[in-house]
Amino acid sequence: MKRRDFVKSTLIGVPLLSGESLLSGAKNKSQEAGLSADNRRCRLRDLGIKIGNLDPGPANAITDIQGVKVGHTTIINGKGPKAVRTGVTVILPHEESICEENLFAAFFNLNGWGEMTGISSLAKTGRLKTPVFLTGTYNVGIVYSAALKYLTELNPRMGNAAPLVSPVVAECFDDFLSDTMSRQISEEDVFEAIRQAKSGPVEEGAVGGGTGMTSFGFKGGIGTSSRKVLGDFCVGVLVMANTGSRDHLRMDGVPVGKEIKGYSYRTEKTKSIILVAATDAPLLPYQLKKLAKRVGMGLAQTGSYSNTESGDIILAFSTGNKIDMCESRPFSPIRACDDFALGPIYQATVEATQEAILNALTSAETMIGRDGNTAFGIPLDQVQEIMKKYGRIGDRIHE
Amino acid sequence: MNREKNAITDLEGIKVAHLTVSQDILNSTGDKASIRTGLTAILPYPMEKELRLFMECFNLRGKNESTGYEVVDDFCYLNSPIVLTNPFNVGVAYNAVLSYGFSLDRVEIWPPLIVGIDDSFLNDITVSHLDEKDILDTFYKASQGPVEQGSAGIGFGLRAYGYKGGIGTASRVIELDGRNFTCGVLIASNHCNPLEPSGGSFTLVVGVDMPLVPFQIRAIVKSLMFKLSSIFFPENPSDDITCIFFTTANSMTMGGEGPLIYDFQMIKDSHREEIVQAAKEAVIEALVNSLLKATPVQGREGRKCATIPEGDLATLIKTIV
Repeated sequence: MKRRDFVKSTLIGVPLLSGESLLSGAKNKSQEAGLSADNRRCRLRDLGIKIGNLDPGPANAITDIQGVKVGHTTIINGKGPKAVRTGVTVILPHEESICEENLFAAFFNLNGWGEMTGISSLAKTGRLKTPVFLTGTYNVGIVYSAALKYLTELNPRMGNAAPLVSPVVAECFDDFLSDTMSRQISEEDVFEAIRQAKSGPVEEGAVGGGTGMTSFGFKGGIGTSSRKVLGDFCVGVLVMANTGSRDHLRMDGVPVGKEIKGYSYRTEKTKSIILVAATDAPLLPYQLKKLAKRVGMGLAQTGSYSNTESGDIILAFSTGNKIDMCESRPFSPIRACDDFALGPIYQATVEATQEAILNALTSAETMIGRDGNTAFGIPLDQVQEIMKKYGRIGDRIHE
Repeated sequence: MNREKNAITDLEGIKVAHLTVSQDILNSTGDKASIRTGLTAILPYPMEKELRLFMECFNLRGKNESTGYEVVDDFCYLNSPIVLTNPFNVGVAYNAVLSYGFSLDRVEIWPPLIVGIDDSFLNDITVSHLDEKDILDTFYKASQGPVEQGSAGIGFGLRAYGYKGGIGTASRVIELDGRNFTCGVLIASNHCNPLEPSGGSFTLVVGVDMPLVPFQIRAIVKSLMFKLSSIFFPENPSDDITCIFFTTANSMTMGGEGPLIYDFQMIKDSHREEIVQAAKEAVIEALVNSLLKATPVQGREGRKCATIPEGDLATLIKTIV
């Protein structure tokens, strides 16, 4: 079933838009809030900074994996103690109904001080059966309910003739900028993010689930990057970055965090990063687990040491095999890469992860949030100067 | 030997509450829908305190959602009510646990531990949405008294061995080193007839007050699962079992408020089997209680679930003991 073929909802209590499906119509809140208007922000590569040796895919984003789509709903309301800076980001893993065609997936709990629901099933079956939702810590219950309604609409037989699916909803704690206890996210906001999901370039920084996040002592949020590898294959990474302290921030090995002057603010320990990697290389779950571990190495290269109170949770999936859940034959063909050919894929993963996290920083603009708390966007002029000083911009020769 | 209540609430500080919902409604297409569901909450310690208890969660096949997976997997601790409800209410129950934590004079309760149990044989699962306020009230009214068994809470829509299943509970005393320890069990008995494709799952909540550390709990749970293989049908791929096992001894304080170094006790590994044996007995008694105390329920599409006849129960007990 294609997404455009959604049947009208048969659910009770689901807020339908004038008799339409959950996923039709409506407007984009992030556009309303004028978030993409800050032209001063840009991606890491636009500053002339390249991470690693491999080339990125056309959009340098997780959406370079054929079929992967990303959508955001950004919620920016009020100021003072009631300021809300939150949202939800959704990654749709492929074009077909994920309920009917599962993907191989793996999960790596680098530091488990966080929540990613749906993992009991994913860890046991090695399969991703739902989109991936990223949001603020206390929004998880509401997003979970909405995700389940979406999945029921996608597959009306679910819970009746078809097996139940547990949605994957992951979180970071956005309370420095947002009155997160108020949980001002609605199920409609989640459906809106799904409606907004598209391939091609991905909006980054203070958008979707990343709206209220801070990272390495600066404004953080959503970032993404990709690498082409082994000919036609691609590895893409998308992060919701809310981790790391400023002193430790490194870009391509340069201790940028120590060199930057000014822009400091007091913050509680920043917490958590959710990292999602996708590839079109046909990998089996145990291989994806190995890939997921390499995502952790990319995180380490930005200077994080995975603090106790940072929920650093990694999910990896492959679109290289689509497991048809309606298949009745006892055997179906699948493909798998040779383990000994995976080296370049690991390299791609580490490079893309590092760049995705740094893209979140360079893309996110300064934000004033709860109680006037301010998270500054990392000063790009200083970043460029520092990287020049260390010979990372301009005449650097790659080996 | 069991404690006075012969229930999981024989463990000091543990409270249980049920929310049961029975309603006949029309769904959006005008068809009749039967809501036969509920929620059972086990509060492992007085929730206004800020404690973390050591725990492990075993799951055979991953059919049951259990939230809080990452913290249990990596930090091995429990800081939340254990909430058993149907999969479509995992989200609202999650949100209710957060609200409950915010309402108490303590740091947040996080992460919520919600287990989704498929009650779709009797319950129109996709329309059976619980109300967050009702769930909150359930937490507030949880008590240390005797536990209602059978068709109560999440047990209302459950079915086991082709008959009405539900909630059962039991306890055992473990004598060791001149002291009496308690092992308390609560079970949600639910699984399919092996000939039916729609899945089922047993959910066990086991608490002890013996000083254990996480790797010991893991070993005990694995042993226990082997010993209990006769109570469900591991050969049926749609059958599942989830076991949450915790100890109320050796607790730590949340939020780094406690000491830098905790002085704990640890049981000798050679005594682990005594705990396994006590837990096994209590689980089987709880299972039998869940069947014995259940009342018949008619639900979705007119399906009826009768209580188990004495003869069948006797045969079952012979098979599983």
